[in-house]
Amino acid sequence: MSSEHAALLKDSVTDFVTRGTNIARVRALRGNPQEYDRALWGQMGELGWLGIAIPERYGGMGLGLAETAIVAEGLARALIPEPFTACAVLAATALAGADNEALKRDMLPAIASGALVPALAWQEQPGVLDSAHIKVRAVPFEGGYRLSGTKRYVSGAAGADVYVVAARSDAGVVLGCLDRAAAGVATDLEPLADGRHFGTIKLEDAVVPRERVAASGAAANAALTRAIDHATAIASAELYGVMSRALEMSVDYMKTRVQFGRPIGSFQALQHRAVDLYIQQQLASAVLNEGLHELDDTPAPDRRSALVSRMKARCSDAGVRIGRETIQIHGAIGFTDEYDAGLYLKRALVLAAWLGNAAQHRRRYAALALNAKR
Amino acid sequence: MTAAAPLDYNAVPDEEFRREVRSFFETHYPQALRFLPRRVRMDEIRGWWNTLYEKGWIAPNWPREWGGMGLEAGKMVIFLEEMERHGVARPADQGITQVGPIIMKYGTPAQKDYYLPRTRSGEIIWCQGYSEPNAGSDLANLQTSAVLEDGFFVINGQKIWTTLAHDSTHIYLLVRTDRQVKKQKGISFLLVDLQTPGITIRPIRNIAGHEEFCEVFFDNVRVPRDTLVGELNDGWTVAKALLGFERLNIGSPRRPQYALMRLEMLARAKGLFEDVGFADRFIAIKLDLEDLASLYGRYVEQAKRGEPLGQDVSSLKIWAMEAWQRLTDLLLETGAEDGVIEGAHDIAGVELDFLSPFYYARPATIYGGSSEIQRNILAKYVLQLPS
Repeated sequence: MSSEHAALLKDSVTDFVTRGTNIARVRALRGNPQEYDRALWGQMGELGWLGIAIPERYGGMGLGLAETAIVAEGLARALIPEPFTACAVLAATALAGADNEALKRDMLPAIASGALVPALAWQEQPGVLDSAHIKVRAVPFEGGYRLSGTKRYVSGAAGADVYVVAARSDAGVVLGCLDRAAAGVATDLEPLADGRHFGTIKLEDAVVPRERVAASGAAANAALTRAIDHATAIASAELYGVMSRALEMSVDYMKTRVQFGRPIGSFQALQHRAVDLYIQQQLASAVLNEGLHELDDTPAPDRRSALVSRMKARCSDAGVRIGRETIQIHGAIGFTDEYDAGLYLKRALVLAAWLGNAAQHRRRYAALALNAKR
Repeated sequence: MTAAAPLDYNAVPDEEFRREVRSFFETHYPQALRFLPRRVRMDEIRGWWNTLYEKGWIAPNWPREWGGMGLEAGKMVIFLEEMERHGVARPADQGITQVGPIIMKYGTPAQKDYYLPRTRSGEIIWCQGYSEPNAGSDLANLQTSAVLEDGFFVINGQKIWTTLAHDSTHIYLLVRTDRQVKKQKGISFLLVDLQTPGITIRPIRNIAGHEEFCEVFFDNVRVPRDTLVGELNDGWTVAKALLGFERLNIGSPRRPQYALMRLEMLARAKGLFEDVGFADRFIAIKLDLEDLASLYGRYVEQAKRGEPLGQDVSSLKIWAMEAWQRLTDLLLETGAEDGVIEGAHDIAGVELDFLSPFYYARPATIYGGSSEIQRNILAKYVLQLPS
């Protein structure tokens, strides 16, 4: 992508959040089981962003992760609750990577337009980064599969129309689509620190008809792991957006808040604190840029996962650290619900934990990087 | 100036250039001096200096008209990366990296003709006379004075932390030539022969036990007026004109690679990766260094595009040096009791010196602008916080 193209995309995201959202709307949607605004979602579809990771032949834009990251970063700066990464990256990439052509032709254009909102239900335990732990059973019958078990930590479940569920059959992982309202599907919403929700989805002999099986076996696993890696990279970009805005707030506050007759930003202890946050943000930015561009050259899966783990580890640590320090730099006002600093910390906390926190990603990186040398 | 036009290395494709540099270092650099965890002394490295000089590679950063390689930023990075990859020591090269380029920019034709060829050949070895007992981080507070008398500067005062002064033939000095003006305005830049009467050099032993830096005393030292570089009282500008490139190189991610490699070998030999506590700390530092490489790469790209480096490059130095220290801390800790026994150890078949890398990394956050000064710079110029 040319830098000119990138700048245009960035401008259009800035323009969208300036006109389409504000912090009052973000606050109003906190804890709302609907979680987001379907009208705004439709506008994001019109701008093409919901199909940004979907190939053009299925009605998407077919752009790379570098472009997707620009959108995610800009939306995250504004703290919008709409689940861009969960739906337009995680779920859409899993489906786009599947091999059921008829299903893809049916669902992907609707996802790109915003008419159909998917959520990917892959995870069952906390602290896992891949499909090995999946226990939800997919029992085959002549018409398809019956799914039973519990999926957890489903981001975007609150407003989803359809779940793409990863389950295990004797032949390996199965990716099947289930309507949220289908028989044998029960959704509980668990409230998150940032006012959004994770879904817990209980399945009891929920029927996935054969034509709604997106992929199975090795193809399903490859599509799933690629989708998780890509979404993890884009969640890192969201963290970068959140930390950048929080750092700006902190530095601005240091320039204006006066104590002892001087702006507090003139005190060296606080200056050095702010500089250390700036260094973390710069590292996050450098790792993200390098990683996103290499990911767009489609590296082999192990290399891809190692890169993504580097990105998520740095961005999670930097994001949460800047979030916490934003509270400290603001003092008591930063600890109030009324002030926005806490909203940034909470979004950083949720994004850092989602799809693997820094410690988990460092360990995965260690396993990949150290094993590769043996 | 050299008669035959030297090779234009910038026209050589990057990978070919890298191979050529690597192969030359591997063939010619003395094995015993690889990955030295201290500054190399001139009597050890003279042979290598001559080898580089004869090859035409002693001054990679100098323009070809002055006998340098004339490398552009991208090629310069490759040259330095290969030096660090092979563990090639930097000799007392401040003439090449610092005062040479300063003379090219501010020197008179006579100064250029006299000093530049001799600096390249190693006939003149330079040390830097900036810091004083009361002018460290507050360098502009320097007090060593030079008074003009009958066409001579008479110098009195003391310099300190002068790296390898005892291996040098000349010193480039910042001296106070006007006490009546704002402190940065009354400073001049002089080139002084260390054989001049009245100069005393006293080496200082550092905590690693090496004599790498010195005190240099000036007692009524008379040097000719033509030792002045640039205008009288304009020495601060001359000294500040240093290439942004030096500031980039100081943040190179390759410097800590050797210690990292040794630690990884030791950890494998001792089975330490089975220890989750160790493994977590090791990988956090490894990632700190990999992420440093990403940040460094971004500045290299900027330098390659010919863009000047801004004050934000200070973050690179802070992170590089502090990560290097964390690494040597962990190396020392991993050695446990062996870590505090001096010299090389054989641990499960891996030869390791724990203390030397630890000592070597200590001053990294002090020299070249301490981490605290770098943070002040970032706060003021990048975050634009009030003073």
